Amino acid sequence: MNELIPLMVIVPLMAALVISAFSRFNTLTKALAFIVALCLPIIPLASNYGLHYFGGYEPILDNVTNVMYHPAITYSFTFLQQIFIAGVGLLTFLVVFIYLTKYRKVSGPYLFLLFLGTAAVTAMILTDDIFHMFVFFEILALAQVGIVAASSIDYSYEMALKYMILGSIGSPMMLLGIGFLLALTGSVNVTDIVAAVHNGLVNVKSPVFLLSLGLIFFGWLYASGLPPFHTIKSGIYSKAEPHGAALLQSFTVISMISIVLIMFRIYSTLPIFEVLIVFFSILAMILGVSLALTQTDFRRMIGFLAVGELGFIGLGIGLGTQFAITAGLFQALNEIIITALLFIGFGAIVNATDEVDTRKLGGLLAQHPKVSIMLLIGGLAMAGVPPLSGFQSKLMLVQASLSCGYPELSILAIMVSIATFVVFVKTYYTMFLKPKPKELELEGKEVPRSMIIVMGVLLVIIILLGVFPDVVTNGISNFVGGIL
Amino acid sequence: MADVQLIILFTSMALVVIGLYAAIFVDNIIKKIIGISFIEEGANLFIVAIGYKPGGVVPILMPGMDTSWFATNAAYPLPFGLVLTSIVIGASTLAVMLALVMVLYRRYGTLSTKVMLADTSKQEEYNE
Repeated sequence: MNELIPLMVIVPLMAALVISAFSRFNTLTKALAFIVALCLPIIPLASNYGLHYFGGYEPILDNVTNVMYHPAITYSFTFLQQIFIAGVGLLTFLVVFIYLTKYRKVSGPYLFLLFLGTAAVTAMILTDDIFHMFVFFEILALAQVGIVAASSIDYSYEMALKYMILGSIGSPMMLLGIGFLLALTGSVNVTDIVAAVHNGLVNVKSPVFLLSLGLIFFGWLYASGLPPFHTIKSGIYSKAEPHGAALLQSFTVISMISIVLIMFRIYSTLPIFEVLIVFFSILAMILGVSLALTQTDFRRMIGFLAVGELGFIGLGIGLGTQFAITAGLFQALNEIIITALLFIGFGAIVNATDEVDTRKLGGLLAQHPKVSIMLLIGGLAMAGVPPLSGFQSKLMLVQASLSCGYPELSILAIMVSIATFVVFVKTYYTMFLKPKPKELELEGKEVPRSMIIVMGVLLVIIILLGVFPDVVTNGISNFVGGIL
Repeated sequence: MADVQLIILFTSMALVVIGLYAAIFVDNIIKKIIGISFIEEGANLFIVAIGYKPGGVVPILMPGMDTSWFATNAAYPLPFGLVLTSIVIGASTLAVMLALVMVLYRRYGTLSTKVMLADTSKQEEYNE
């Protein structure tokens, strides 16, 4: 038993409630938010690996069937959970730091939503209980909608409602899928369900089992923003405040891998499962980068690129080997950091120009050289240029596709990476290198220093992960070996 | 008595199908939200049906009850616990959706999704 494990969820959850309750006291709210946000990356790093059984109800051996079953909600904390929870904790801290320094009067409910989302994704990646995961999946959807609706960008309410309606169709579908699994196995604990499947207590070819896969898969597509939900997902990124969008995309990535790892453990015996994941991932890669190419709003462009990058994660997991899944999960970690850097960097440009249309921008390199260079490196990392982190994970994915006997997938991955490079360079040229349009007013508008500091921190992580990928990949590979 | 379970299952499926039809094809946002509620309640009813036990008793162990008799006759409590949580979440999402609709109704003066949830460019035309 490790008492720090549940604190990773309880601390942001309680902080969210307390901050919201005392939001009238501005200085207290700021101090509390800062301290709690600082704790978020520290707790997972200080915690030992292990399991936590809520209520202290440890697994029980059934003397009749000789199978262990889990009567309580279980949290499992390994290197994978540690690295992702610490990652999202650090990002939450950086986003809260930007928010607290940018505004003199802060909103308690907005901070509540940021912490609520962080608590929800942390619980999703920790839990070994599929219904518990569903509950936090719903809470996360509410937090995401709130973050979008709270922004001052036009039509954010409309986008929030659209996302909510689609989510309200996707979530009950996932609940029905969980219901089917409960009907088949009598449990919602993933380890118990997996044991029932592997011990032959469930007929994996039965229509009910296949239907449960289809329904949970539909919910996963919604959570991940893979097609057909790619448009709405990029839409909510573009309607949130830039720092909020940076956090939203990390929520998407973590909810995506949390659900797909649970699905992988349950359904990996079905050949169609891997085919489905690879199919939708390829679709996301192609659609993401194609739609990004046509955008003139750079927030929307980054949103579509982020969706395309999600396809790489799915590709790794869909290939199903230890190396491929490790590559997919490493890509997930890289995407969280790189996309956050891009959202914050482009957000800094919005702050300095009040303009999001790339056609109306230009000549920003001379005005904002620090932001320009950091954005350029971030974009190159996303496109997979060495020696940055994106290169390492994409190289691993290409190698994994080749070693699995799918050279066509590796060619596709390289082509999508090249297309990502083209999209980014085109946008970068238009915004930073092209001569400044006469109508563009830049006098007296500065980029907040907090945004530059945060970009610098993220950039250092990108370079470190690119130079020393083994620090992360070895631990992820051990985790993947365990679930296989 | 097993027929009762079957009837509940069919009812839950009917709720989901009707709800899906309303959520996808009906233009009025309130009716759409009612359809979404139908889907959620259909899923909840389905899980309740899983826990149904013909002739079963409420799964609360009272003083003086024989534990082996209780274990044989009590309904499976897990689905009911899950549904209780699911209902609470459903109510929260419903409240948020209706709050957003209220704001948008004040802005557009209509409940038509074709207007309030149209593409941004069309909304700009509408506002003009």
